[in-house]
Amino acid sequence: MSVDPLYLVQLTLNGITLGLLYALIAVGLALIFGVMEIINFAHGELLMVGAFAMSFALPAMGLLYWPSVAVAILATMIAGLVIYETLLVRLRPEEFERSILVTLGVSIIVLHVVQYLFTANPRLVDTQYGFDGIQIGAIRITFTRIIGALAAAVAFGLLYVVLRHTQFGRAMRAIAQNREAALMVGIRPRVVARNAVVLAAGLCGLAGAALAPLQPVTPGMGQFLIFKAFALVIIGGLGNIPGAIVAALGLGLVESWIGGFFEIAWQEGAVFVLMIAVLLLRPDGIFKRGAMRLG
Amino acid sequence: MSGPALSLVEVTAGYGNNPIVRAFSSDLAAGSITTLIGGNGAGKSTLLRAIYGTNRFFSGRILFRGEPVERLPPWRRLRLGIGFVPQGRCNFPAMSVAENLKMGCYTLPAAAHAAAIERVIGLFPILRERWRIEAGNLSGGEQQVLEMAMVLLLEPSLLLLDEPSLGLSPRMQGDVFATVQRIAASGVTVLVVEQNVRGALMISDRALVMEQGRKFMEGPADEVRNDPRIRQAYLGGNIQHTAA
Repeated sequence: MSVDPLYLVQLTLNGITLGLLYALIAVGLALIFGVMEIINFAHGELLMVGAFAMSFALPAMGLLYWPSVAVAILATMIAGLVIYETLLVRLRPEEFERSILVTLGVSIIVLHVVQYLFTANPRLVDTQYGFDGIQIGAIRITFTRIIGALAAAVAFGLLYVVLRHTQFGRAMRAIAQNREAALMVGIRPRVVARNAVVLAAGLCGLAGAALAPLQPVTPGMGQFLIFKAFALVIIGGLGNIPGAIVAALGLGLVESWIGGFFEIAWQEGAVFVLMIAVLLLRPDGIFKRGAMRLG
Repeated sequence: MSGPALSLVEVTAGYGNNPIVRAFSSDLAAGSITTLIGGNGAGKSTLLRAIYGTNRFFSGRILFRGEPVERLPPWRRLRLGIGFVPQGRCNFPAMSVAENLKMGCYTLPAAAHAAAIERVIGLFPILRERWRIEAGNLSGGEQQVLEMAMVLLLEPSLLLLDEPSLGLSPRMQGDVFATVQRIAASGVTVLVVEQNVRGALMISDRALVMEQGRKFMEGPADEVRNDPRIRQAYLGGNIQHTAA
């Protein structure tokens, strides 16, 4: 079997974009897990909210890309704030089972309310860039794909700076590393948990907004993403943020290659096959686990 | 200021639905060192946590410099001047010493961080040598010093220490006790729970003895040290001889 190298490059570039968007979701999940010790099963719906907000904002903003992204991020952050203040704030760290039910419930409700309001018909999103893109030889990448990948990369850079160099971000790592020590230095866990949820929601909003022009927007688009993101967080070493990013990039590439060479059905299963393989070989994930490590 | 730095009035506190400390009362004079003595499960740590506010408070009053604090969250008590160093490895293990100290400044305005860190490094020069090392990779004694430094950044007027010498070599234990004495000499009121009862009593003004969540005895440290019951139970005295 001979492989067209250009086709492989194209698949690889697509895989990187996909991987970066997965990473935005996985990192948010890892952030919330680190601070609150819960898995937010409504995370995929936050991405969907971001994508829907993008699909409404674009026509309202005359198809301008960046103002619409800002609206989508803001809308998703507000959704995250509402979910935190109404439901998550009541969860105590030892109530893991309850957190699963609560966030899964939020996920199902949000999904169906959106479906009821806007139907399940896929929404195709057009931007100022349309289908324009860069042509290098036989390879073509749309601007929306490039911008999505760059925006995700910039977001990770900013996130790193916030977590490493600001008290706002350091407090999140502090709680993830030692809850009692966090109380010792006067950190208010609820304030930090709220910040983490809103920040993670913002990352979901960015991912949803960036994804909206690349694939049809449907109420169910986030549904399976949460399980993938959950798998990525485990593969990356629960709570290890660079680990989750690397795992997400790897998955994007693997999915893109599998989708390009094999039947599409294998694509969806790849992450779980990988997760099982990783957990069999290295039960703690590929990277050092926990503590919201940055390196 | 003439009143006690801390007044505990009939304090009952614990976890969930289980009160562990029951109707505990005592006054701590400003600038004094008090050792809290008691067997395993007597409620010593529970009492310290109740004073800082990290467990469940059932009833009673906790007056800090005359003000009731028993319903305030920990960060409010910290701002008022109550510092608490919990037992064992209470730092951020995947952060450097520098970052841990930065976190210790969490409740201070940004402009005050550098001066506060400079001051505690003056107290504990070892921290400067370990500046870039992750706290989790420090020795037990260095971690203890770091944790005390993180709380002293805020210049608390009441310092609650839970087992500061646990797991340390005898020489390091001596260093910790000397540091506690130095802190108290600067006017800080200290309440310390110690497994090294003998060492703690040596530096203390007063001693509180707890049994099963209640106050068993209270008095000047040397009086408590010479009490035959205390000698037998906590100072590894002549158990074999007296048992006969």
